[in-house]
Amino acid sequence: MTAIQVEGLAKVFGGLRAVDDVSLSVAAGERRVLIGPNGAGKTTLFHCITGTLKPSAGRVALFGADVTHAAEYRRTALGMGRTFQITNLFPELTLLENLTLAIVGTDRRKWVAHRPVEAFGEVRRQAQAGLEKVGLADRAAQPVKHISYGERRQLELALALNTGPKVLFLDEPCAGLSPSERQRISRMIAELPRDITLLMIEHDMDVALGLADRVTVLHRGRVILDGSPQEVQTSPEVRDVYFGHA
Amino acid sequence: MLTSAVLQAINGISLAALLFLLASGFTLSFGLMRVVNMAHGAYYLVGGYIGLTLAEKTGSFALALVGGGAAVVVLGFLIDRFLMRRTGENHLAQVLLTVGIAFVLGDLALWIWGGDNLMVPAPQYLKGAVVLPGELYYPRYRFVLIFFGVVVGAALWLLYRKTQLGAVVRAGVDDREQVNATGINVDRLFILVSALASFLAGMAGVAGGAFLTLYPGAEWEILVYALVVVIVGGLGSLEGAMIGALIVGLLDAYGRWLLPEFSYFVLFGPIALLMLFRPRGLFGKEH
Amino acid sequence: MNRTIALIALAAALLLPHIAGPYWTGLVTLMYIFGLLALSIDLLLGHAGLFSLTHASFFAVSAYTVAILQVRYGVPTLLAAPAGVLAGTLLALLFGLAVRTRGVYFILITIAFGYVVWGVAHRWSSFTGGDNGVTNVPFPAAGPLAITSHTQYYYLVLVAVILCALGYRVLIRSPFGLGLRGIKASESRMRSLGYRTTLHLYAAFVLSGALASFAGVLYVYYNKFVNPVAASFQVSVEAALMAIVGGSGTLIGAFIGAGVVLGLRNWVSSFFELHAAVMGAVFIATVLWAPQGLVGLARRFFK
Repeated sequence: MTAIQVEGLAKVFGGLRAVDDVSLSVAAGERRVLIGPNGAGKTTLFHCITGTLKPSAGRVALFGADVTHAAEYRRTALGMGRTFQITNLFPELTLLENLTLAIVGTDRRKWVAHRPVEAFGEVRRQAQAGLEKVGLADRAAQPVKHISYGERRQLELALALNTGPKVLFLDEPCAGLSPSERQRISRMIAELPRDITLLMIEHDMDVALGLADRVTVLHRGRVILDGSPQEVQTSPEVRDVYFGHA
Repeated sequence: MLTSAVLQAINGISLAALLFLLASGFTLSFGLMRVVNMAHGAYYLVGGYIGLTLAEKTGSFALALVGGGAAVVVLGFLIDRFLMRRTGENHLAQVLLTVGIAFVLGDLALWIWGGDNLMVPAPQYLKGAVVLPGELYYPRYRFVLIFFGVVVGAALWLLYRKTQLGAVVRAGVDDREQVNATGINVDRLFILVSALASFLAGMAGVAGGAFLTLYPGAEWEILVYALVVVIVGGLGSLEGAMIGALIVGLLDAYGRWLLPEFSYFVLFGPIALLMLFRPRGLFGKEH
Repeated sequence: MNRTIALIALAAALLLPHIAGPYWTGLVTLMYIFGLLALSIDLLLGHAGLFSLTHASFFAVSAYTVAILQVRYGVPTLLAAPAGVLAGTLLALLFGLAVRTRGVYFILITIAFGYVVWGVAHRWSSFTGGDNGVTNVPFPAAGPLAITSHTQYYYLVLVAVILCALGYRVLIRSPFGLGLRGIKASESRMRSLGYRTTLHLYAAFVLSGALASFAGVLYVYYNKFVNPVAASFQVSVEAALMAIVGGSGTLIGAFIGAGVVLGLRNWVSSFFELHAAVMGAVFIATVLWAPQGLVGLARRFFK
C-alpha cells in the first residue's frame, strides 16, 4: 500500500520554480527523510502535499485517494498529521486545550456547542496522556506562551500525534533545540509504531540517516537522489550539493 | 429612454471621478503601509469645509481646492505622528482609533460649520450647463469633474507605473521588507504617500462639496462608497480603485434611476457576488 | 469571591426599580439590551477574532419586523417576536458570506453590508416609514400575561438577558467555542488539525446574528419605536466599543462596557453638546491605553 504518492509536482511563485517536477512514493509504514540545502523547496513541497498550498501542476495521493485539490481537513480525515517548521501553536490557550483541539479535530465532537469541554472526560484523559507522552503533563494548565521553546517543539509533535494520524509529516521537528532536546525528540520519533508512515524534513544529517529507511534529496526544487541512507552518504552529487558547486 | 441612460452614465462617471480621488489614497495607504484609515471620510468633510470657508473668504475656487487638500495633509500628518504610530499593524486597533478620530472630527465640524447643507461656491465658468448632442443639457461642473478625475488618475498612474518613486512604492506594496532592505528611507516614503492620500481626500471634499453639498453624516456616506470601491477593486491596487470607482459610480447612478428605493441593493449585489467568487476583489493580492 | 460579587450584582439588579426610580430603570434596561448586542459582537471578536461592524443590521431588522407585524398587521407578540428573531437570523445567514474573507477585508465588507440595511430602512419609505420609522409599538403581551409598565419590562429583560448570558457561557465553554478560539489563535493550525474553519466561523456568525436579533426584539418593545438609526454604522461601532471597553473575550465585559458607554453618553450630553466627540475620545483612549478593557485593567490591578 502506498501511503504517499506524488507525481510531477510543481509549485511556481512568479518566476521562481520552488518545486520542479517532483515525484516520490512512500510505502505504508516507511520512514522517509527529505533532505536538501536551504531553499531546496522541502517545506514548499510539504505544503503542497499537506494542502497548505495549491500545487501549480502534478498530483498528490494519500493511501490511493487523490487529494491534489482537496481541502486540508479532508487530508486530515484520511489520516494526515503534520508539524510546522515554525512552531504553530495556540499561544493563549493552555497545553491541555491545545491537545483537546487536536483530539476532537477529526470527529464530530468539535461541533458540540451545548456542553462544556470539561464534560468530555475521555477527551481530557486522552489529552493528559498525550502530554505525558511528551513529558509535558505537569504543564497541562499553563498557557503555551509561558513554556520554553524546547517544550513548544515537543507540544508541536504532540499535537500532530493526537489527531490519530496514519501518515505523519514532520517539518524539522528538532529545529532550534539543544542536543539533549534533540535526542529526546529523535527517540520519540524512532519509537513511533510502524503503522504510522513518516515523511520528515530534517537538516541534521545524523538524525536523518539514523531514522530513515529511505532518503530523498532535494536541490533547487528537484529530486536529485532517492535511495538508502548509505547511498546518500556516499553519493558524490549529494556531497557537491552540500559542500561543492552544484 | 436612451438619453436618460446616457445622462445617468455621466452621473455615474462623475461620481466615479470623485470616489476615485478618495479611494485611491485609501487603497495605497493600505497597500503600502497596511493602514486602514476610517477617518478618510472625515478628511473629505473637513477638507471640504475648510475649502468652503476659503472660497467664501477669497473667492478663489482653486485656492479652496489646494487649501482644503493642504489642511488635511497637516491634519493627517499630526494624526499619523501622534496617534496612528501607536497601533502598528493591528487593524482592529486602527479601525477603532480612526473611527474615534472621525467622530471627534465630525463633531468639531458640526460645531464650527453647523448642521445645514452647505455648498462650496464654484466659479462662474464651472457653473451652468453643457449642451450635448441631441439637445441634452448637463451640468458643466460634473463634466469638468470627470475631466479632473481623468487627469488626476492619469497622473497617479504615470507616477505609480512609470517613475522611480512609483516603482519603489509598488515594491513596497508587494514586499515591505525588501524595500526596507534596499536602504530606501521607508519612513519618508510612508509620509509622502500618506500626505498624497490626505491631499486627495481633502481636495475631493472641496470638489464634492460643490455639487453634493457638505453636511453632518456626509463623511460616513462617502466613506462607505469608497470602501465598496476598494473592496471591489482590491486593497492596494490603483487600477482596482479606478475600475472599482467606475463600477460603483455607474451602479449607483443606474440604481437610483431604476430602483430608487432599493439602490443600496444595487451596491450589495456585486459585493455579494464578489464574496462568492473572488473575496480579494478584482485586483487584490494575497496578503 | 466571584460568586459573592455575582450575588450582590443580582440583588442590586432585582432591587433597582424600587431604589432608583423610572429614569434609571429605563436606562439600565437599555444597558442590558445593548450589553446583549455587544455580547453578540464579542462572540465573533473576542473568540473567533472577527471584527463585525454590521450587527446593527440584525438588531434593526428584527426590531422593524416586530414593529411592522405588531403595529401594522396586529400580529400578537407570541408570533411577532420569534418572527423578528427569525428575520434577523435569516439576514445573518446571508451576510455570513463575509466569512469567506478575513482581517481588514472582513471588516470593510461588514461595514458595506451594514450600510445596505441602513439604506433600505432609510429609502424604502413605503415599507419602513423612512426616517420616521415605525411608531406606537405596544408592550409585549402573551394572552393573559401582558407587560403594562416599564418596571415590569425591566424584569422581563433582566430574565431574558440572564438566560442568554447563561446560554452564551455554555457556548463559549463548549468544544465549538474552544474551536473558535483556536481559529483566532492560528487558523492554519486548525485547518491541519481537521477543522473546516470557514464553516466554523459561518456557524458562529449566524449564532451571533441570532443573538443580536434577539437584542433587537427586546429593544423595540422598550423603545416603542424603531427608525433607521437602529441600523446605523454608529450603533454597530458603539456596540463593538462597549465590548472592548468592558473587556473583550469575557462575559461580563459586554455589560460593563454597555454601562460605561451609555452612562457616559447620558451624563455628558446633559452638559456638553459634542457627545459624539466624547465617544470618539473614549474610542481613542481605549485603543491607546486600555485595549484589554476594564475587566483587563481590573485583572491586572488585582494580580
